[in-house]
Amino acid sequence: MIPKAPTALAVAIALAVGGVVPATAQGPIRIGASLSLTGTYAKLGKNQHEGYQLCEKELNAKGGLLGRKVQFVVYDDQSMPATAVRLYEKLITEDKVDAIMGPYSSPVTEAAVNVTEKYKKVMVAPLAATTSIFKKGRKYVFMVISPAEVYLEGLIDMAAKRGLKTIAVVNEDTLFSKAAASGAVELAKKKGLQVVYTEAYPKGSTDFSALLTKLKAANADVLAAATYFDDAVALTRQMKELNVNPKMYGVTVGGDLPEFYDTLKQNAEYVYGATQWEPTLPYPGNQEWYETYKKEFGHEPSYHSAAGYAGCIIYAEAAKRANNLDADRVREQLLKLEMRTIFGDYKVEADGFQVAHKMVTFQWQKEKKATVWPDDLAKAKPLFPTPPWTSR
Amino acid sequence: MNVVVTPAMLAQVIVSGILAGGLYAMVALGLGLIFGVMRVINIAHGPLLMLGAYTTYFLTTRAGINPFLTVPVAMAALFLVGVLLQRGLVFRVVDAPELSSLLLTFGISIALVNLAQLAFTSDLRAVEYITGAWVIGGLAVSKPRMIAFLFAAGVTAVSFVLLQRTRLGKAIRATSQSREVAMVCGVDVARIHMLTFGFASALAAAGGALLAVIVAIQPEMGGVWTFKSFLVIVLGGAGNYPGALLGGLLLGLVEQIASLFLTSQLSEVVAYVLLVLVLLVRPTGLLGGRQT
Repeated sequence: MIPKAPTALAVAIALAVGGVVPATAQGPIRIGASLSLTGTYAKLGKNQHEGYQLCEKELNAKGGLLGRKVQFVVYDDQSMPATAVRLYEKLITEDKVDAIMGPYSSPVTEAAVNVTEKYKKVMVAPLAATTSIFKKGRKYVFMVISPAEVYLEGLIDMAAKRGLKTIAVVNEDTLFSKAAASGAVELAKKKGLQVVYTEAYPKGSTDFSALLTKLKAANADVLAAATYFDDAVALTRQMKELNVNPKMYGVTVGGDLPEFYDTLKQNAEYVYGATQWEPTLPYPGNQEWYETYKKEFGHEPSYHSAAGYAGCIIYAEAAKRANNLDADRVREQLLKLEMRTIFGDYKVEADGFQVAHKMVTFQWQKEKKATVWPDDLAKAKPLFPTPPWTSR
Repeated sequence: MNVVVTPAMLAQVIVSGILAGGLYAMVALGLGLIFGVMRVINIAHGPLLMLGAYTTYFLTTRAGINPFLTVPVAMAALFLVGVLLQRGLVFRVVDAPELSSLLLTFGISIALVNLAQLAFTSDLRAVEYITGAWVIGGLAVSKPRMIAFLFAAGVTAVSFVLLQRTRLGKAIRATSQSREVAMVCGVDVARIHMLTFGFASALAAAGGALLAVIVAIQPEMGGVWTFKSFLVIVLGGAGNYPGALLGGLLLGLVEQIASLFLTSQLSEVVAYVLLVLVLLVRPTGLLGGRQT
């Protein structure tokens, strides 16, 4: 005897799982990505993953995308570019995902994007900040965060507006910092500041006595330092020791970490820093998003979380406008799109290079990061000029 | 760009060079001792320094102890770690070909760094204790670096007295000069090896503890110290203890002066060119190494 009821159930299950009955063709939209869930970038990659998860949840709560549910297919690339290449190959050829999102970091994106270009798949790459990725004639890759070259733009712009004349630019001799420093030199020249001193120092430097001694002799109004954390801390400490007193002093990465203030205490006051995103910025829905994120994952988001979320939202918006998932039609929309998300503005040039997103410049004021640039986002006036160490 | 170097600037970087050199000398002395006594290049020397820095960090931030008072605690703790490492692992490669000891200590180094990442995470940490400088006749002398230098000089001086004057020190030097003869004279060579490794680890720990107030602490901070220490002992003469002192000060000065006249990037080049020159002209190091 063959029972009838279970057959109906089987059909229902098949329908629910999706894809089995081709006529309906309304399974979820599967978005594939590899992320650094283990390895060097694990912490940041996980934050980006959580950004994707929150985006997925929110899209589905609003009825999905193009009338279909959204489902992320995420693999762990162990922070290794070669692994990411393999995983994107698998996502596209074996899993046959409907869409692609970018991995964490510039090096991993640089490797993975070769695969997505080969198969003509759109990749919104929310955590790739290296300019060159977008300057190699690639067609389907889109940038979300600001490039290294503009990290010090706010500092230089404020200095020029206050009539300062000379600037010194120092940097760690690594890819990101070099790009940030060369960008700063270009911007300074454009704004009419005279670059009186530049020097690169090797990674791992902990003693800046000689560099600062020369810097002091050069007597620049502004010190723009393209740093990571260790060197930003060491530089600041030794500036105090050697009594080096620029009227403005700004750093790049590291200066925005809470540890920067914890380590330097009152010596961090007046230091300028740059950040891609802060929960306090007045972007639409930012505050609510921050609260939701904290509730969902039990910890604070970083800019990696916000950029991941925003990248996914940007892709969804473009797909919605294209009313289709076809790569060329989504690409067309991504090129046209101008959008403000919780992460800030999005607009790209014809090569996918980000031009609208603004780095925000803050200054450490009374133990807090006060946003001082750009003017439309600023919450506080910069404390200018920075008083000499001896009169603090 | 074009900054004219004045004598005052030169004097300033010489001060900084000597302060840095004192730390180099103390840390390198540890690496030199192990090499002298066991003919083992301890790649894990830097990671042991890192553990010393974490010891100070936790004692200072969790128990509120003055960071400079934690130096002996860090030394004692890492002395034990060193003894255990020697007893458990390193003793096996003392007479093995050099490659074996390199591989083993390289492995220990990787294990220590990764264990530290697991236990302490890769978050950057720092001990905020004292900042600023004493200004003496126009020269700025960094307070934390000066205090660290004085501690390092003290520890190094005590180490020399220990090596020169005590029975244990004599046994260590004897073992270093000729293991067989030392053994014949009744020195317990296995015990000397163990104590030397512990003592060298304690010197690395002292370096880490003192660095804690100067630089940020993270699991990978030690690597560069292995290389610098190696440079110092080759410059001064491997296995020749006063050589570590000379090599350390020389490296500190060369780095700073080269940074002043050239650029910071080139200062490392200059340091390693100096190494090559020393090896060419005096292959046994400036003060002459131990003959094999």
